[in-house]
Amino acid sequence: MKHPAEPIVYIVDDDSSMRQAITRLIRSVGLHAESFGSGREFLKAKRSDGPSCLVLDIRLPGMSGLEFQGELKQAEIEIPVIFITGHGDIPMSVRAMKAGAIEFLPKPFRDQDLLDAIQVALERDSARLEQAGAIAEIRTRFEALTSREREVFQLMAAGQMVRKIAAEIGLSEVTVKVYRANVLRKMHAESLIDLARMASRLKSTAPKYK
Amino acid sequence: MHPSPGSKFNFKHPVWNSFALRYGPAVMFVGAAFFLSLMLQPYLSEAYLILFLIAVMASGWFGLTGPALFAVSVSIIAVDYYFIAPFRVFVMDTSELPLFLSFFACALVGSWLSATRRQADDKRMAHFDELFEQAPEAIMLLDLEGRVLRINPEFTRMFGYSLAELAGKDGMSLIVPQDLRGQAQISEARRREGETVSLETQRLRKDGSMIYVSELGVPITFAGKKISYYIIFRDITERRKASEALERFQAEVAHLSRVTTMGELVASISHEVNQPIGAVVTNGNAALRFLDRQPPDLHEVRGALEAMVRDANRASSVVGRIRSLLANTAPQMGQVNLNEVIQSVIPLIDSEVRRNQVILHTNLQDHLPPVRGDRVQLQQVLLNLMMNSIDAMSAQAARRTLEIASSCDVKNLLVRVQDSGPGIAPESMDAIFDAFYTTKPDGIGMGLSISRSIVESHGGKLWATTATPAGAVLQFTLPIAESNS
Repeated sequence: MKHPAEPIVYIVDDDSSMRQAITRLIRSVGLHAESFGSGREFLKAKRSDGPSCLVLDIRLPGMSGLEFQGELKQAEIEIPVIFITGHGDIPMSVRAMKAGAIEFLPKPFRDQDLLDAIQVALERDSARLEQAGAIAEIRTRFEALTSREREVFQLMAAGQMVRKIAAEIGLSEVTVKVYRANVLRKMHAESLIDLARMASRLKSTAPKYK
Repeated sequence: MHPSPGSKFNFKHPVWNSFALRYGPAVMFVGAAFFLSLMLQPYLSEAYLILFLIAVMASGWFGLTGPALFAVSVSIIAVDYYFIAPFRVFVMDTSELPLFLSFFACALVGSWLSATRRQADDKRMAHFDELFEQAPEAIMLLDLEGRVLRINPEFTRMFGYSLAELAGKDGMSLIVPQDLRGQAQISEARRREGETVSLETQRLRKDGSMIYVSELGVPITFAGKKISYYIIFRDITERRKASEALERFQAEVAHLSRVTTMGELVASISHEVNQPIGAVVTNGNAALRFLDRQPPDLHEVRGALEAMVRDANRASSVVGRIRSLLANTAPQMGQVNLNEVIQSVIPLIDSEVRRNQVILHTNLQDHLPPVRGDRVQLQQVLLNLMMNSIDAMSAQAARRTLEIASSCDVKNLLVRVQDSGPGIAPESMDAIFDAFYTTKPDGIGMGLSISRSIVESHGGKLWATTATPAGAVLQFTLPIAESNS
């Protein structure tokens, strides 16, 4: 899928020197960076639709980096997080990683480590966006099916043969074959296997698909 | 009637016991009265009455009862013979009898008074003498010029000088150390003003060693006149040494507490330093990358360098602040024997234990494996725990016991500090470890919090429980040091 927005790195650190330094480092490799002094500021700001990641200081006054990570989850903001910290706090890093952090960098970190982590995070985010985009496409196609076609789609995806489908929904085999051809065409599926994959993707992201 | 200063201070006067010297003066006084009376007779015919009375009393004073009666006898004979009409015969007119009898009565009373008064004086002197000789404190008696009149045996014991070595010499100049001359002169001047001067100072012994003394200088006045002064010395060297040791210990405790407080702050301190250093490094890397660009982005490089200068200055000022707070103490991790640490702390709290009438038990397991840690910090933990226990028990009248036990299992050492105090309320069991939590009116509430952070930094745990039947148990574990480290 296309996502015209450029990748962007967000930085949340209460220390303005560190914030500016990281921003400058990220700029030096030609990436866009935007920095915030607190988690709240970040949550309030308008964020890019494109791939992005967050470089987060684990010790923030008021709300810790870990709490902020939890808050992002609650607000359903999916963004890869790279933690940096002044103190190599192992239990904290374990929690951060368990909560889905990409990387945990103790200060002073090597610039390349941070840039590598940002690279990984942005790739992961764009893959996520791509996947989200692909699923959205499949959903659009699926939603274009008639209710009868959706029924046939589900049975096909479940691996039922034409005769079985015909018996199940009380139509002739010929009619079912027509529906089947329509479903394959409308869903841009090349084979039954392809169709089954689409069905599982839809299932995995949309709990209420029929 | 004033005795001469010489006789006043010549307390040991065996010579007075000799017959000749007791009666000699009587003869002399009466003789003098006789001749003076004869000479004055043409001008003052009654002068003999006064002169013979004086002679009798003086004889009584210097020779006591015997010579007094002797003087009275001689006087009445002389008076009758020479001064009562008719002269130069041993008979007298009846008209002169009342005069003669009243003179006789006066002479008897006068001599008796002066002899008994002298005896009382002598007795007092003897008491004073005894006191002086046997006083448990060193006493030096000086005349107004500062010359030594007398010292007592304790003085000789304390300073090493005998009376023969000091008599007539400037006593203070011998025992005042060079560097305290100024101070001594000031006290000397004050003593001469009649002040009682008390001070604690150092004095020099004959062998050159120094002792701490409490020195009290008291002027002696006689009939409102300063006639001499004495100086009492008490040796306070032991007390002084003990209090110096206590002062050193207190400074040490203060230092320990400062060090551990700083230790507790290490996390925030290192954050304060790491933050700007991290920014410097990051800016430096960014600057290098901007330089590597084609063409180099010098504007960004300049921005980075400016930020680096600013941040490096910030880091250096933080370090300066810490250094001034912490002086030169850094924890030194090494293999530590906990039993030794416990035993090194016990003498430190010994005075507290005794002051609070606490019974201290130690129950230390032999052959404890070492732990890895900073000895000073572990001392601080034990010190805190023991001091807390002692404080906790201070309010109760019942039996106060403090038990310190060490033991170990495969992985950890355990140290228990148990008291028989009121224990810890269940709801405070965790709060006691909070900084600034205190139940003491003058506590700052750092002890347990510091202790816990020290134990945890050593990889151990510190917690509190309640003892049966009463009291609190504070215990901590420390991991056994790995033998290869």
